[in-house]
Parts: sequence; C-alpha cells; structure tokens
Amino acid sequence: MAREIYDRSWLAYLLLLPTLVVSAIFLYYPAAQAVNLSLYETLQFGTQRVWTGLGNYSYLLTSSDYHSSIVVTIAFSLIVIVGVMAISLVVSYLIYEVSVGQSSYLIAAIWPYALPPAVAGIVFFYIIHPSLGVLTQPIQAIFGVNIDWFTRGGQAFVVVTVAVIWKQIGYNVIFMIAALNNVPDALGEVADLDGVGRFQRLVRIYMPLISPTLIFLVVMNTIYAFFHTFAFIDILTQGGPGGATNIMIYDLYRNAFEFNNHGLASAQSVILFLVVGVLMYAQLRLSDKYAHYG
Amino acid sequence: MSTDTPSTIERVTESLERPTTDRTQLLVHIGLGVSVFLMAFPILIALLVSTQEQGVINSVGDLAPGSHMVDNYQTVMTDYNFGVYLLNSFIMSIIIVVGKLAISLLAALAIVYYRFPFKNLMFMLILFTLMLPVPVRFVPLFNIVTDLGWYNSMLALTIPYLASATTVFLLRQHFLSIPESIVEQAKLDGIGPLKFLVYVLIPMSKGMLAGVSVIMFIYAWNQYLWPLVIIDSQAQQVTQVGITLLQGDIQAGELQWSIVMAGAIITLIPPLLALIAFRKPLLETFGVQQK
Repeated sequence: MAREIYDRSWLAYLLLLPTLVVSAIFLYYPAAQAVNLSLYETLQFGTQRVWTGLGNYSYLLTSSDYHSSIVVTIAFSLIVIVGVMAISLVVSYLIYEVSVGQSSYLIAAIWPYALPPAVAGIVFFYIIHPSLGVLTQPIQAIFGVNIDWFTRGGQAFVVVTVAVIWKQIGYNVIFMIAALNNVPDALGEVADLDGVGRFQRLVRIYMPLISPTLIFLVVMNTIYAFFHTFAFIDILTQGGPGGATNIMIYDLYRNAFEFNNHGLASAQSVILFLVVGVLMYAQLRLSDKYAHYG
Repeated sequence: MSTDTPSTIERVTESLERPTTDRTQLLVHIGLGVSVFLMAFPILIALLVSTQEQGVINSVGDLAPGSHMVDNYQTVMTDYNFGVYLLNSFIMSIIIVVGKLAISLLAALAIVYYRFPFKNLMFMLILFTLMLPVPVRFVPLFNIVTDLGWYNSMLALTIPYLASATTVFLLRQHFLSIPESIVEQAKLDGIGPLKFLVYVLIPMSKGMLAGVSVIMFIYAWNQYLWPLVIIDSQAQQVTQVGITLLQGDIQAGELQWSIVMAGAIITLIPPLLALIAFRKPLLETFGVQQK
C-alpha cells in the first residue's frame, strides 16, 4: 500500500503504546480479573474470598430473582429498541420530507443526544411524581388511571421505559437522517409519481435502502438499553418496586456495592458480557443476510 | 446548496399538478411541531420550575415563569456546591477529550502509515475494547483504581477512559480518505512521522477532530455510574452525581424542586452548547450532509 510510508516497526509500536497500555491496564486486565473473581465467593463484606468454582453461576442460574431480572431486562430492551427506532424513523422521515426549515427541525430533534441521563431521570421523576408531578393529574384524568409508580411495578416499568426511549431518539435521528440523505432523490420521486403513499414509500423503499444503518442502530440501542440506562433506574426506581425495573446492570451494581458481593457481581458481569456479545453477533449475522448494502 | 434547485423546482411543479401537496406539507409541519414539542416538553417544565419561588411549585397548574430564576441559580451554585461540581466536570471532560485525541492520533498514525508485524492484530485488540464497557469490568476496575491510590481523585475519573476504540477507528477512516498524492509528496520530502502528523494530518482533519471532540465531550460529561462509585467526597464530585445528591436532599425534605431544576438546567447547558456550536462538524462526523 502506498500509504504505508514508514516502516520502522519499533516506532509504530511506540506510537501505539499509550493506547495499548491504557487498554491493557484498564480494559483487558480488569475484564480478565472479572472472569477470575467470578469463581470466588465473597464473604465478610468483601474482605474474604473463597474458591467456589462455578458456584456463583449455578446460584444465579437457579435464583428466581435473577431469572426475573433477566426477563425484565429482555422485555425492557425489546420495547426500548423497537420504540426508539419506530419513533425516530417517523421523526427522521418527516424531517427528510419537509422542504422548509429542515435544519431547524433537525437541531430540535437531535438535542436530547446531549441531554445527560441523570438530568433526564430527575426531570422525569419530577413531572410524573405521584403527588407533585405536573403531568400526573392530566394523565390520571385522560386515561382514568391512578398514578403511583412508587408502589406499582407495571407503572414504574412504563415510566422508566418512556424516559429511556425519549432520551435516545436524538442519537438515532442523527444516523437515520444521514442514511436517508444518501438515498438518491430520484427513487423517492419515481415512487411519488407512481402514486405510492407516503407511509408505503417509507416501509417499502426507504427502510430496505437504509437497512445497514438500521442494523447498526439496533446494535447501538441494544448496548444502550443494557448498559447506559443505569442512571435512569438508579434515579427513578432503584430497581423497584418489587424488582419490576431491576435490570441486570442494576442488579450487578447492587450486588457489588450495596451487598459487597464482588464474586457474584463479577459472575453477573461475565454473563452480561456473553449475552451482549451473542446478541451483537446475531444482529451482525442477520444484517449480512437481510440488509441491502448499496 | 446548488443541489437544492432541482428538487425545489420539482416540488413547485408537483404542487401545481397536485393541490394536495400543500396540505400534506402542512400536516408534516404539524407532525414535526408536535414531536419536537413533546421532546422538549420535560425540559421546558424544568426550566419553568427553576424560575419559581421555593415552595410554590408544589401546587400543580400555575406554571407561569416565576421571578426567582437568578436567586435559584445562585443558590444552587454557591450553597449546594454546583460551582465545584461544574468545575470538576469541566476538568474531567477536557482531560478525557484531549487525552483521547492525543493518544488516538498517535495510534491511528501508526495503523495507517506504518508497515509493521501484527498490525491487524493490534487494530483488532483496540477495536475489541468496544465490547468491554465499564459494567463488564466493574469490580476489578474499582479494585485496581483503588490499589493505585486514585480513589476520590481526578486520575480515577479520567485515566481509565483515555483509550478510545471509537476515536482510533474514526481517525483511521478519515486518514484513509486523505488523497494518496499528499502522502506521496510527504514521503518525497522526507518528512518525519511527527511532523507529518502536526503539519499535514491534523490541519487536514480539523472538522473531523472537532466532531470527534464533541462526541467525546458529551460522552465524558454524561458519565454517571463510574463517578458514583469511585468518588465519595463532595469536593471531588462531578455534576451528574451532584444532581442526584440534590434529589436525595429533597426526599429528606430539606430542599425544593426549584433548586433541583436549576441544577438540572445548569448540568444540561454545557453539552447542549457544545452540540449547538459544533453541530456542523458533528453532523459531518456522523456522515450527515445537509440537503
């Protein structure tokens, strides 16, 4: 390759050294340690360790609390991924279709990307607070429900899910607009002349054409739902009520820092890693099969 | 902008042929207006509440702008430590952004412009770190950082974040798009790698670097879980965790919502300003070309 204009290998390794050293110490080593630590049982508030082999894993696989945490995580992730992508797709398509004020709408739609999750959590906590929230009474009046998500698991799940979806729309819109803008104008116009409806055009023409971006976003949204929603859970519900919002990452955190059960928490890290790894692999394989690359 | 003309003409003729187009465009605008409003609504409420007198906003309904905005923001900055939290967040984010850029530039330089053994393996090793977010290495990372004596320090908040697979990957892609003729010229001139980086690559990557910096700044600023566990002293804490400390005070009945919302708005402003100010390079980095 004509680009490789330098070939003193020791210098190349020297340039890579900072990145490799930080990765080794703070990424690879602790990840390997997590596997190791998962084979120990932690006693006496974390001061003692006893070898337990796969004990932590067999405990988790038979624990009904952990099972319910897995179910909650899967339901939560699925709803978040589908919800975020459906809403973002409609918003992106509307922005793409509009001829006046496109860039203003774009900025107005992507700003939640910059919104800190902790702030989003606090604001949601306030606006839907069972007794103080400004949205509580209107929602109660319109939908005829009695809002008390501090004690009702189903409602807590809905509140967390809505907040988490809301926060992630901006990020998705950025990529979807990018992809839509890369579709040749002529395609949409031909369909328009053929009298294909707006919604049909989105589903039958644009969605297949931007499918590589959609698959990428499915992967990113999966990681988001599994890992980056911690702040919402911590602020809004702390996993409750009755474990209704106790997703795997929050359960892991509690075992590690509330109960000082480091061995068990590490086993949960390893399981989380495997689950996300398998999911990402499956999604990427699926994309090879179904995505249309231009 | 020149590409705008044909599609505008197209749309004009379209609207002449089909009178419904105007109406549907109006519907699109209404749809967009509603969605944009819904997305902004929670923060608008927060903004309103942050202007109210303490104690009055517990009654629902009167959400007119209040007159205590300055008061509330001053109170939260001075009495509730937000000045310190903000400063800590700034220092943390700047160190992470600059550090990531610096070491990623060196790594990308090596990966694109050097011939050396195990190159692909090195690149893969860097990319694989994407699979190792904080939760996967949570407990041992906490132990390592504590063993290093970094508990409660800026080092703990920044150093573990300096390696960045995303940045290396984006820079690599960008370097590969720089015309080979420029690279050839540098080779003929016998220019050394560091000079090549400083005088050729960095000036040619300004927009890209600005875009990556915004992504990294927002990412660093929004960190929550790690500061929550590794920082225990209020003097060292960042604003993300600071805001939840306020929430704790409220549940203990010691605080009013107007103060908390002032804190929330303050925490939101820096990443929002970064997004708005650098939206062009950011959108370019994400690959968006404005129509």
